[in-house]
Amino acid sequence: MDARPLRVVCYVNQYFGTLGGEDRAGLGPQAMEGAVGSARAVQQALGEAGTVVATLACGDNYAAEQPERAVAELVRLVAAAGPDLVIAGPAFLAGRYGVACGALCAAVQAELKIPAVTGMHAENPGVELYRRQVHIVSTGGEAARMGDEARRLVALGLTLARGETPGAPAVEGYFPRGVTRNVVTAASAAERATAMLLDKLAGRPFASEVPRPAFPAVPAPRLVKTLEGATIALVTDGGLVPRGNPDGVEPLNATRYGAYSIEGKTGLDAAQYDNPHRGYDTSWVKQDPHRLVPVDVARELEQQGAIGKLHETVYSTVGVATTLAHSARMGREIADKLREAGVDAVILTST
Amino acid sequence: MPRYTTAAMRLELRWSDVEEVAAAAATWLVGARLEVDLDALRALLAADARLGAVRLDLVHPGERVRIGRVFDVIAPRARLDGEDFPGVLGAVARAGDGRTLALAGVAVVATDQQTDNVGTLAVIDMAGPTAALSAFGSTHNLVISAWPAPGAGRSDYLAAVRLAALKAAVHLARAAGEREPDRVEVFALPPSPRVPAECAHLPRVAYVFQIHSHQRPTGLDEGILYGDPVRRMLPTIVHPNEVLDGAVLRGFMGRSVTTWAIQNHPVIRALYARHGRALWFAGVVVTVAQATEPERVRSAFLAAGLVAHALGADGAVLTKIGGGAPHVDMAQAAAQCEALGVKTTVVVEDMSTDGSAEGMLLFDLPGVDAMVNVGSSQEPLTLPPMDRVVGADDLVPRLQGQTRATYGTLCGAIEQVGATRVMAEVR
Amino acid sequence: MPTVQVSTMTPVAVMVGANRIVQAAGIIHPLGNADLAPEDEKALRRRIVEQALHALRTEVTRPTVFTTG
Repeated sequence: MDARPLRVVCYVNQYFGTLGGEDRAGLGPQAMEGAVGSARAVQQALGEAGTVVATLACGDNYAAEQPERAVAELVRLVAAAGPDLVIAGPAFLAGRYGVACGALCAAVQAELKIPAVTGMHAENPGVELYRRQVHIVSTGGEAARMGDEARRLVALGLTLARGETPGAPAVEGYFPRGVTRNVVTAASAAERATAMLLDKLAGRPFASEVPRPAFPAVPAPRLVKTLEGATIALVTDGGLVPRGNPDGVEPLNATRYGAYSIEGKTGLDAAQYDNPHRGYDTSWVKQDPHRLVPVDVARELEQQGAIGKLHETVYSTVGVATTLAHSARMGREIADKLREAGVDAVILTST
Repeated sequence: MPRYTTAAMRLELRWSDVEEVAAAAATWLVGARLEVDLDALRALLAADARLGAVRLDLVHPGERVRIGRVFDVIAPRARLDGEDFPGVLGAVARAGDGRTLALAGVAVVATDQQTDNVGTLAVIDMAGPTAALSAFGSTHNLVISAWPAPGAGRSDYLAAVRLAALKAAVHLARAAGEREPDRVEVFALPPSPRVPAECAHLPRVAYVFQIHSHQRPTGLDEGILYGDPVRRMLPTIVHPNEVLDGAVLRGFMGRSVTTWAIQNHPVIRALYARHGRALWFAGVVVTVAQATEPERVRSAFLAAGLVAHALGADGAVLTKIGGGAPHVDMAQAAAQCEALGVKTTVVVEDMSTDGSAEGMLLFDLPGVDAMVNVGSSQEPLTLPPMDRVVGADDLVPRLQGQTRATYGTLCGAIEQVGATRVMAEVR
Repeated sequence: MPTVQVSTMTPVAVMVGANRIVQAAGIIHPLGNADLAPEDEKALRRRIVEQALHALRTEVTRPTVFTTG
C-alpha cells in the first residue's frame, strides 16, 4: 500500500450541503471543492487517513423526479474528481435522499469500479432498494450523532477502499446484503447444532444460521381453452440433450438450455439422446428418455384427441446447483418463446 | 427391585499419538514414530484380483504437496475384541463394544484412478491456508493409488479401493500392538431408557443420521451399514458406539463427507461430551434419503416415531448427506419430529451457488427453524501452487500450480456430518 | 400460461411457489420405473401425464399437489 492519503468524494442533498431547505430541492447536481456541510464530519472522521477532495450535492426533488439523469450526471462529477472512495450521506430517515445515496453508490461501484458506502436508518426506503448492492451503515433517524455515525461510515469505507472484505454485518454495523460467504468458526457445525438445540429445548433465544426462504406467491392462471383445443409443451430441468450436447448445457450450475424438435417423432430414441445432469444417477433416463420427457404418451394423447396439439419443441436444462437468478432468467426466456409460439399450457418434468 | 442384566455398550478408543511416519523394513510404532513396511503393505493390498498396480505414498503436514483424485479418507483403527469394519472387511458382527486401537495424527487416503469425471473428486493440501481448512492437512497421510485390473467394472473397482483403504487402516493401527496407549477415550452409554434418578431432569436428545442418498442408488458391493448397501432400508436405531467403531461407512458418492468424519463422528462426540450434564444422549437413528415421494414420507415419519416413541427424545439433531434433494428428506423428518413435540436442529449446506442468501435453502417446513450450516461447497477457493502432486499423475499439469477450485473440492473443508468449521455467513 | 410441475421433490416445488404440482415416480426416473414391465411402465407414465393434464384444467389459487393414486 502506498501511504498517499485517500481521495474521498462526499455526496449530500441540498439540506446537508447547506444550500437551502425544501425550497431548493429542485437544484441539479453540482460539485463543491473540499468538504462542505455534513461532509465536514466525514473529513473530521477521516483525519490523516484521507481528504475530502469534493462534495457533490443534488436537490432531493431533482434526484427523485429524474433519477437516471441525476445519477448519470453525478457519476460524471465523481469520475472528474477521481476519488478512491465515495461516501454518500448519511441520509438518516430522509427517503428521497436515502434512495439517491443508494443509487449513486451502486452506480459508482458498477460503472467506475470505485468503492462506495452510505448510511441511513433501517426504515429508509433506500435500505431495501440498495442493501444487496451497497454497504449501507445503519444509523439513527436524525442527525443528532453525526460525528459518531460519520466515523462508522468512514471506518467501513476505508476497509472497502483497501480492497478488504468487511466483517459480519452485526459487527461492522451495516445492513445484511443478503450474500453468503464462507468463514471459519471456532466451534464445529456439530457443536453449534448441539448448543442451538439445548437453547431451543430450554426456551432460550437462538440464532438460526440460515434465513427462511421468502418466495413471492405466483399467480395461478387458468387454462382458457379446453384441453382438446390446447397446445401443450413439454419442458424439463432433468438434463435431456441430443447426443453430443450441441448447446453445451452445463452438468451443474447451468446457465444454458436447449430447444429440441420432436416434429414427426412418436417417441425419443435413446441412441440419439444423452444426459449431462450431475445431480442424480442418469442411467435410467439415458436407457429410456421417456422416463424424463414423456413424448410417447403425450403424442398418443394428441393422436387420440385428448389434447389439441403437442408443441413440437421440447425445452431442456439441467437443474442442479443452478442459481435462482439463472433459473428465473431461463424460465422467463422459455416462457416468452412458448407464448410466442401459441402454447397454452406446459408440463414441466423435474428430477 | 429386579436385577436387569442388559449390558451397557462400552467402547474404549485406545489412542496412540503419532508425530512422525516413515517407510521402514517393518511396521511398528516406536514412541511417536510410526514405521511402515510399505512393500509388505503394498503386497497385502495388491492381492485383490480387482486391482492392478498399487502405489503407496507418504505425505506429511507442511510439505508442499497436493493429493489429487481423493476418493475417501479412513481413520486407522483396529479392534482388539471383534471384527474390523464388520460386514465389509471383517465378518458381520456388532461393533461398538470393547477395545479399539486408534492412531491420532495419521489418515489413510484412498484415491480414485479410474473416473474421467475428475470434477467430482477432491484434493488435500498439505501446506498453506488450504491445509488449515481441512483435518487432513495436518495428518500424516498414507496415500493409496490403485489402478483397476483389466475388466474390473466401476463398482468393483471402487469396492476394491475402499477395501484396500480399510485394510491399510487396520494394518497401521495394529502397529500400536500391546503398548500402553497415550490416552484412552471411553464411550459408555446404558440402554436408552435406564436413566439414573440424578439425570432424570435432563432433556433426552437423539441424533438422526442420514447415511446415504439414493439420488445415486448403491452398487451391490457398496456396503454402508454393516456391509448392507441400504437399498430398501427403513429408519432404524443403532448405538452411537457402533457408528464410531466402523459399522457405518460412507458410500461411493463422495460429496463432502468422509468415512474418517463418521469414525470420529462430531455430532455423536458433541452429544457424548454433554451427556449426563446438559443432556441425556438417547440414541442414534440412521436413515437414508429416498428417491421417491412415498418412501421419503414413510421414512420421515418412521424416523420421527423412533425418535419420539422408541427413544422418548425431547430433542434431536439431524444431518444430511449427498446433494440437494436429501435436504428435503432431513427436513421432513425434522418436521415430523416437531409435530410430535420433539425440538430439532438441522445441519444444512448452503445450497446457493451464486452467494445469494435467498438461494441457501431447499425447504421451508413448519417448526424447522433452527439451522446450522456447513458452508457453501460452491464458493470459489484458490488453491496455492505446490511443489508436488501425489495420487494423480495424470492431473499434475492441472493441479500443481495455483488452481481455481471450490470449497467442495477441498476434502475435509466441508464435512456434512458437522465436523467442519467452515460456515456460510449471511452478509 | 398454466404450468404443471411433475416432481418427486414436491416440498421444494411448493416452497418456490409452483401452483400445480404432480407427484413424480422418483428422482432417477420421474415418469417411469425400470422395475416394471415395459407396458406397465408406460401405463404408469400415462397415468402421471393424465394427472398433469387434470391439474392443468383444475383451477387453483395456491401451490397444490396432485398425487397419482
